[in-house]
Amino acid sequence: MSEFFAMGGYGKYLWPAFALGFGIVVLNLILALNSLNAARQEARRRLETSQ
Amino acid sequence: MATWTWFHRLASPPHVYAFARRWTPWFGGFAALAMVIALYGGLVLAPEDYQQKDAFRMVYVHAPTAWLSLMIYTTMAIAAAVGLIWRMKVAHAAAAACAPIGAWFTVGALGTGMLWGKPMWGAYWVWDPRLTSELVLLFLYFGYMGLRAGIEDPVKADKASAMLAVVGVINVPIIKFSVEWWNSLHQTATVMQLGKPKMNGDMLWPLLLMLLGFLLYFIAVLLIRLRAELLRRERNASWVREVLT
Repeated sequence: MSEFFAMGGYGKYLWPAFALGFGIVVLNLILALNSLNAARQEARRRLETSQ
Repeated sequence: MATWTWFHRLASPPHVYAFARRWTPWFGGFAALAMVIALYGGLVLAPEDYQQKDAFRMVYVHAPTAWLSLMIYTTMAIAAAVGLIWRMKVAHAAAAACAPIGAWFTVGALGTGMLWGKPMWGAYWVWDPRLTSELVLLFLYFGYMGLRAGIEDPVKADKASAMLAVVGVINVPIIKFSVEWWNSLHQTATVMQLGKPKMNGDMLWPLLLMLLGFLLYFIAVLLIRLRAELLRRERNASWVREVLT
């Protein structure tokens, strides 16, 4: 198992790269969902005040 | 005319909103599945490269992020052009939705590339044509977003930023072919070339599956951001009332 994580000595570059790449994947999903929620709340507020 | 129905639907915010809401979980679900299988294939099943040893596995995160950074820009430019030509609000909204996702994946491409460059080239960064043109791509995304943020009138913001997106698309082929036009440390295309990919099948399928996963993921995130954009633009339309209640 430790051999797998060592990746022939390249682990110290490989794992940060995967963490960065897939961190961005997760982050972008969260940012998009936050943006949608904010837009929905904004639109809801606007509808309430226009009634 | 029946052939034009889809085009009219594409231009109609309520239709696009409903479509996006319905299909996002499917694109997202298949994206996650593809990425997990591709990760296993790339990190565990694929044999090590005879030259780069295990460092070659960087390709399974670097290539998809770099590829998305270009594909998203191209999508953004096409959407912007459609918005300019047909004055289509949905197209402008789609272009605006692309920008932050593309900027993040450009950061990912540059960051993972630096981490691959250090063990292979001995340096995190060199002012190489491929690297420099990819950095310019990041500034184009920043410019597009900055321009939008700086113009208050949404119609003017759409127009001005769309022009920038369309003009900036010239950088996409420059990045793509930089490794052939100039002397570059960066390796040339392995998969995206005419004829057969220069890669063994055991290494290739996880890469192709990862590219597919990232593409599906991009569509899912784009659809979420597109819904947000449409809501912001059409706050008073009656369909907004319907989808929110």
